[in-house]
Amino acid sequence: MKKLDLIKLPFNKQNPITVQVLGVCSCLAVTAQLKPAVVMALSVTVVVALANLIISLLRKTIPPRIRIIVQLVVVSMLVVLVDQVLKAYMYDVSKQLSVFVGLIITNCIVMGRLEAFAMSNPPLPSLLDGIGNGLGYSVVLVTLGFVRELLGSGTLWGYPVMEKIGLFKIGYENNGLMIMPPMALILVGIIIWIHRTRNKDLQEQ
Amino acid sequence: MNKFSNRYIFIYSAVLVAVVAVVLTVVSMSLQPLQERNRQAETKQMILKTIGVEATRDNADELYGEYVTEEELGDGSRYYTFEGGCIIPLQGNGLWGPIWGYLAMDETKTIVGAVFDHKGETPGLGGEIASDKFASRFVGKSWLKPIVLKKNADKNSQYEVDAISGGTMTSNGVTAMLAKAHEKYGMLAVAASSTDKTAERKEAEK
Repeated sequence: MKKLDLIKLPFNKQNPITVQVLGVCSCLAVTAQLKPAVVMALSVTVVVALANLIISLLRKTIPPRIRIIVQLVVVSMLVVLVDQVLKAYMYDVSKQLSVFVGLIITNCIVMGRLEAFAMSNPPLPSLLDGIGNGLGYSVVLVTLGFVRELLGSGTLWGYPVMEKIGLFKIGYENNGLMIMPPMALILVGIIIWIHRTRNKDLQEQ
Repeated sequence: MNKFSNRYIFIYSAVLVAVVAVVLTVVSMSLQPLQERNRQAETKQMILKTIGVEATRDNADELYGEYVTEEELGDGSRYYTFEGGCIIPLQGNGLWGPIWGYLAMDETKTIVGAVFDHKGETPGLGGEIASDKFASRFVGKSWLKPIVLKKNADKNSQYEVDAISGGTMTSNGVTAMLAKAHEKYGMLAVAASSTDKTAERKEAEK
């Protein structure tokens, strides 16, 4: 596999959310607004990339019997670091993400990539694979955050877009369902639908 | 070295855990001052919010100095005054962890503003106490008696507020927190009042 593919594939045919169906839980929880979605996406990308790199560097020394524990310790350390940095430099966002930052530890994408890739590949490809999968996750998260905040609250990144272009005056109303988690699931479903329609080889028989 | 041997596994995990512990300690220690400053600014923002002043974290310090004065009770516990009334701190326990808040009242002990926050209540259920919608239910109520959170609260009552649906345990925590604060700061509000104290104390006891 070419190195560039490691970054490119997760965007499309190996997307962690729409194809591997990993990390769906957090993608429903944090996408009611764009800003937490972007921060969550970046945090997960950093954690997956660094966890992949560290585990790949350690892979020849890790005792196979406790490999899952070793992976979890490394991931937990990275997540605590991310949490501490957010608390120091982006306090509001860290409050909004609250429990979800801790849940990065259990995000299936992280463990999935460690087991499937980093344990058996050299550091550089592992780092790229982590970045790729993190960004693939980010694309879906940001798309959801964009649609849900725009249609649900009429704002983007807190800026009142719908009000500024005057839609409320002609009788437009925000869709309250958009900010509920079930709508995120429906939107993910729609994304998967579009994705599979365009890529026939992803369809199961 | 045999990666399956017990000795290897023990040594490996011990070293790994020690390294992780050192990294975490160093980072946590070095970021602590920044985090502490954020927490203090947030407290000031909350206090300002009860008297209707919206502050950002950057100007909270300045506005706080302008509007709020810190005072102390005899036993050293802190409360705050602003022009026309006082603000009392609330502290209690919700379902999963600590909850806290501030109540601002004018001289007749009518509540002019409230704000609540929590550490880890369930978002959408108990976590709703942090919402403006919940806090606004307190405005206009009276602090002569502790306010109680109830299902189907009597709208005309000065001492009842609608509880949160799906957040009964957290609501009970808020009620307990208010009762505790009233015990501690109730007389303070009486003392700050300009009307007849004894009459109001009787009212409070009813």
